[in-house]
Amino acid sequence: MTEQEIKKQKIKNTLYLCIMLAVSGAVGLLAHSLDFNRQQAMSCSIFIMIIMATLLFWQFRLAIAFVGIGVLMGTNVLTLPTFIRECKIDVILFLVGMMVTVGVLKELGLFTWIIQSVITIPHITGKTFVIIIAVLGAFMACAVDEVTSIVFIATLIFQVCDTLKIKPTPFVIIGVLATNIGSTGTMLGNPVGILIGQKANPPLSFVDFITWSFPIMLVTLTVSIILLMMIYRKDIKLMTERLNDRRQLGLGLGPLVKVPYKSGLAVLVGMITFIALHHHIEIKLGLAPNTVLIVAPLVIAGLLMLWRHERARHYIEADVEWWTLLFFMMLFAVAGTLEETHVSSKIAGYFQQAFGDKPALLTPVIIGVAAIGSAFVDNIVFVAAFMPIVNDLGHTPLLWALLQGACLGGNITMIGSTANIVALGMLEKRYKAHIYFFEWLKVGAVIGITSCIIAWGGIALLSPYMPTKQQREEMRQTLEKKTLELHPSLIGDSNN
Amino acid sequence: MAGNNKVHPVQFASLFKPAYVVCHTQKTDRDSVLRELLTQLAYQAGIGNVDEAFKEVQHRENEIPTIVGPGIAMPHARLDSIDKIIVGVATVKDGFVYAPERSNNTVKLIILTLAPKIAPGLYLQAISSVAKICQAPATADTVAKLDTPEKIWSFFQTNGATLPEFLRACDIMEPVTVKLQEHDTMERAIDLFIRHLVSEVPVIDKDGELIGVVSTHELLRVCLPDYVLWMDDLTPIINFEPFAQILRKESQTWLAEIMTSDYATVDENAPAVQVAKEISRQQTDIAYVMRGKKLIGIVSLATFLSKVLRE
Repeated sequence: MTEQEIKKQKIKNTLYLCIMLAVSGAVGLLAHSLDFNRQQAMSCSIFIMIIMATLLFWQFRLAIAFVGIGVLMGTNVLTLPTFIRECKIDVILFLVGMMVTVGVLKELGLFTWIIQSVITIPHITGKTFVIIIAVLGAFMACAVDEVTSIVFIATLIFQVCDTLKIKPTPFVIIGVLATNIGSTGTMLGNPVGILIGQKANPPLSFVDFITWSFPIMLVTLTVSIILLMMIYRKDIKLMTERLNDRRQLGLGLGPLVKVPYKSGLAVLVGMITFIALHHHIEIKLGLAPNTVLIVAPLVIAGLLMLWRHERARHYIEADVEWWTLLFFMMLFAVAGTLEETHVSSKIAGYFQQAFGDKPALLTPVIIGVAAIGSAFVDNIVFVAAFMPIVNDLGHTPLLWALLQGACLGGNITMIGSTANIVALGMLEKRYKAHIYFFEWLKVGAVIGITSCIIAWGGIALLSPYMPTKQQREEMRQTLEKKTLELHPSLIGDSNN
Repeated sequence: MAGNNKVHPVQFASLFKPAYVVCHTQKTDRDSVLRELLTQLAYQAGIGNVDEAFKEVQHRENEIPTIVGPGIAMPHARLDSIDKIIVGVATVKDGFVYAPERSNNTVKLIILTLAPKIAPGLYLQAISSVAKICQAPATADTVAKLDTPEKIWSFFQTNGATLPEFLRACDIMEPVTVKLQEHDTMERAIDLFIRHLVSEVPVIDKDGELIGVVSTHELLRVCLPDYVLWMDDLTPIINFEPFAQILRKESQTWLAEIMTSDYATVDENAPAVQVAKEISRQQTDIAYVMRGKKLIGIVSLATFLSKVLRE
């Protein structure tokens, strides 16, 4: 770095620091003027400061989150017991289990087999390839998570584009957008799904996601694929031409190896089955809601580590994204202070004052706010802050609105979701190619806005059939009663 | 302030004096001529211990005789005992066999360069400065005929050779001996890798422009792409299946399959140190020296280090 560049960087950092302090100070003053007490104003101000810091100093987000926790504790806004409770260790452990399992699946050859299955499809054309990467990206996000999914989809795209000598950027954008859409399909698609499922009051199950969110995802994905094929028609046409040329020479898209995929496939199917049936298993075993959901990936990871004990330490050290998980923990705790100091219920009150108590009006508002917020701030940050407000508003459709808005809004900008950042990093590393903010925005905005409108329509259509918060609570109590009937020995525990 | 940094050109003739010239020596073998010349330099220029200097020069000449042009040898050494470059010149009227193990190497003019040990590149600069004079076929004969040290010194002064301000990439490059044409197949590339034991080969189009590089690493990446490397255990691949697929199609597959546009290039006039920078930045072993889009030479990392740290 030259002296001039260092000087520029220093000026930029100072400017960012001033912006961060000014915005957080302004939020504190605004909160104070809105009749928030000292603790509430402080928690708002510090929360915004951490959000701004992660936005402006992304590389230092974990360091800033650590310092932020210290500031909150030092000012008595966050207490140690609240910190420990709000860290959401259950969500973190679930993600650890998933990451270990994905690491093992990768080494077992499952993802190699999937990629090979795609590159050996006979008579593949550009259009077929786009449909495959979009659908595969979306469904893999549903089965594992969006970040894992995009790593494999991007590798597949690189392999095909390298072989055909065509620009990978359009296909990477298609893959990322489809993966983000797919991440709304199940609880496993995105950490946001787990957070909403776990934090919803009463909690949501995997089956709830499949019932209410998956169908919307399918419609959104179909429309988005059609739109993307129109936007990138020239690149798709070029791919078809190159594929034809190659086929005439009798050449494939990459070397093939025999992959012993069956054990990996069995592990994946077993894990998804366990997770899908968690609700029923919990009733049968008389367990608290979502216990099996959280524990299943951990137990499977444990068994896999016993099986491949020589690699066990590697899975924990290399496959688990500790940096991200620690950041999530700090962030959940910081967001927890908003709930603890009743800031969220106050904001929920303002929402009700502004938009009434009708889900029909609140749904597009929540989708819109979540989408715009997630386009610029990491969506988990946004959901962590918004979840208590949605809980306080107490309408089931709003939970789905928050999920759809947070995940689909991530498509609008190139920094909107972790999958976007991971894919762009891979593209930059491999091709030294950059995608510019507006290059992404002009496609991302079309897909993001269209999919949010579809999601709004889908939720509006399904909401008459969705159980209300009260009905969900009653169902939970009925299930608890059934559980106690099945397991009378738990009565004592229940009374305690 | 830029004017302060301007380096004035150094005349090659300023590196020696008539007193450093041994004219028409009677010695007729390499070592005797070198020893005579070094002794002369010890008296006239103060180069320190003659035996040590001789051992240094002899050691290098035994490794690779430095015959740089017809009838001209340019031996050299780097010494601790001197702090500036010193040149000595010797002429042998009828010439002598400089390196008996090599044919056709009668030498009449010896230009001995002694450089301070901690000044890498000075010798190369000296070579570069007299390169044009040395390339003329008659130079050795012309100088060998001159009968006094003064006349020899004036020859170099009159011909006006100057040391370049800095060593350029083209001063340390080597000719391109192994290359591929754009219409070649992967089969030919693999043959070249194996026959010449090289790790990469440049690909040239019909106008001599560099259009890409094929490398063994790229070939390996084609055979074992990322998705194969994800697997922990490759025991199911017992017969090199991915390589077998390449072999099956190698004569039909164009170089495009393993050609990369990710390689280090440097302009011929760029400072030689830029070669190191490009090699480092691209994490490769070879930099391609370009004149516009045309490939005119290559510098390997090994050559670069040898020239800068040893020559």
